[in-house]
Amino acid sequence: MKLAVVGKGGSGKTTTAAVIARTLARRGMTVVALDCDTNPNLGISLGVGDEETERLIAMRQALDEGQEEHTPTWDELVDRFGSDAPDGVRLAVVTRIENPEPG
Amino acid sequence: MTGSPAPTLRQGFAALTSERANGDGSGMRVAFVGKGGSGKSAIAGTFARALARRGEPVLTIDSDPMPGLAFSLGLEVVEDAVLDDAVVERQEGEEGPRFRLRPGLTVGEAIERYAAVGPDGVRFLQFGKLRGHVAPLIRSQMAFREITHGLPPNGRWNVVGDLPGGTRQPFAGWGDYAHTFIIVVEPSAKSLLAARRLANLARRGARPTRVVGIANKVSDAGDTDLVRERCGLDVIASIPWDEALAEAERHARAPIDYAPESPAVTAVEKLVARLIEEG
Repeated sequence: MKLAVVGKGGSGKTTTAAVIARTLARRGMTVVALDCDTNPNLGISLGVGDEETERLIAMRQALDEGQEEHTPTWDELVDRFGSDAPDGVRLAVVTRIENPEPG
Repeated sequence: MTGSPAPTLRQGFAALTSERANGDGSGMRVAFVGKGGSGKSAIAGTFARALARRGEPVLTIDSDPMPGLAFSLGLEVVEDAVLDDAVVERQEGEEGPRFRLRPGLTVGEAIERYAAVGPDGVRFLQFGKLRGHVAPLIRSQMAFREITHGLPPNGRWNVVGDLPGGTRQPFAGWGDYAHTFIIVVEPSAKSLLAARRLANLARRGARPTRVVGIANKVSDAGDTDLVRERCGLDVIASIPWDEALAEAERHARAPIDYAPESPAVTAVEKLVARLIEEG
C-alpha cells in the first residue's frame, strides 16, 4: 500500500505517519517512510533521534549540490541515503530545506 | 544572540545596518515564524490587537495560503478584495517583472484599499486562500509581494507578519518586510529542531535581521531554558500553556476577545507593553 498523510501544521501528520509506519513494520510488512515535508521531522517521530535526522537531511542536500556522480535509482536512493529506524522501517528524506522555491 | 544585551526591536535593524535612526516614529516590523502548530497565528493576532489598543497603527500580513490569522484577529474569513486588480500584467515586448502595481496605485493606497479593517483598527492584508487550485492565486500573490516589498522602510505602520509553518517561505522573499523574526517554539523535539533550522536560515540570509524566540505552551519551569539552549535564541517572552487558547481556536474566536484575562493573552500584552517602552 502507498499512503500519504496530509493536514494543517501541528495537527499531528508526522506523529501519525510514524506510528502507522512502525505498526505496519511490526506486522511484518516491508515499510519505507518518506519524509516529504519542507521541514523534515519524521526521523524524530520514528525514533532515530535528532542527530540522525539531521544527518539524513545533509545527505539529501549533498545529492542536489552535485556531490553525487550519477543520478541514482529509487532503490539506490533508499538504500544509500536512507536510515534504519526501529522495527525495520527504512527512512528516507525526499525534500530539501535550503534555498527552497518561493511559495 | 546571546552574550551581549539584546537591542530593542526598533534598534535591532539600526544597530546592524546603521541605516535607521531610532526613535524616528517608524513602526516595528516583526514576522512570526516557527513549526506548524506552534502558535504563530494565535500569538501574532493577539500581539497585533494589543499593539493597536495602545494607539499604534498596525498592518498585519498573512502569507499563509491556509486561513489562520484572520480568526486570531477576530475577523471573519475575508473572501473579497484578494488583490487581483491591484496589478497589471507585463505586455509583450515590455521589460520588468511579470506583474507590477497598477499605474497610479501607490503602496499606501493599496493598503488603504485592500487591507481589511479588523477589530481595534488592525488592518489585514492577505492574498486569498487556496481552494483546490493554485493557479488563480498567482496574480494575487504577486500583487501581495509588490505591496509588501514596497513598504517604505521607515513607514509609520507597525507591521506584524504571520508566515506559514516550516522553513519553506520565511527566507524566500516572503518575509522581507520584517526587521525582526520572532520564532515561536513549543517545548517539543520537532518544534525545537524546526526553530534551530529557522534561526540558522535567518542568520545565513543576505539581509541583516534580528532573530529572537518566544517560548510557547510553556508548562514546566525548564521549558524556556530548553528553547534558549537548544535553539541558541534570545527568548523575549514565555507564554504559558493555556486551555483558554485551545478553546478560542475551537470556536474560531480571537484569543484577546474570547479570553482577555487568560494567562497567555496577558503574557502577550506584557510583551507588547515592554517592546513599546523599549521602543
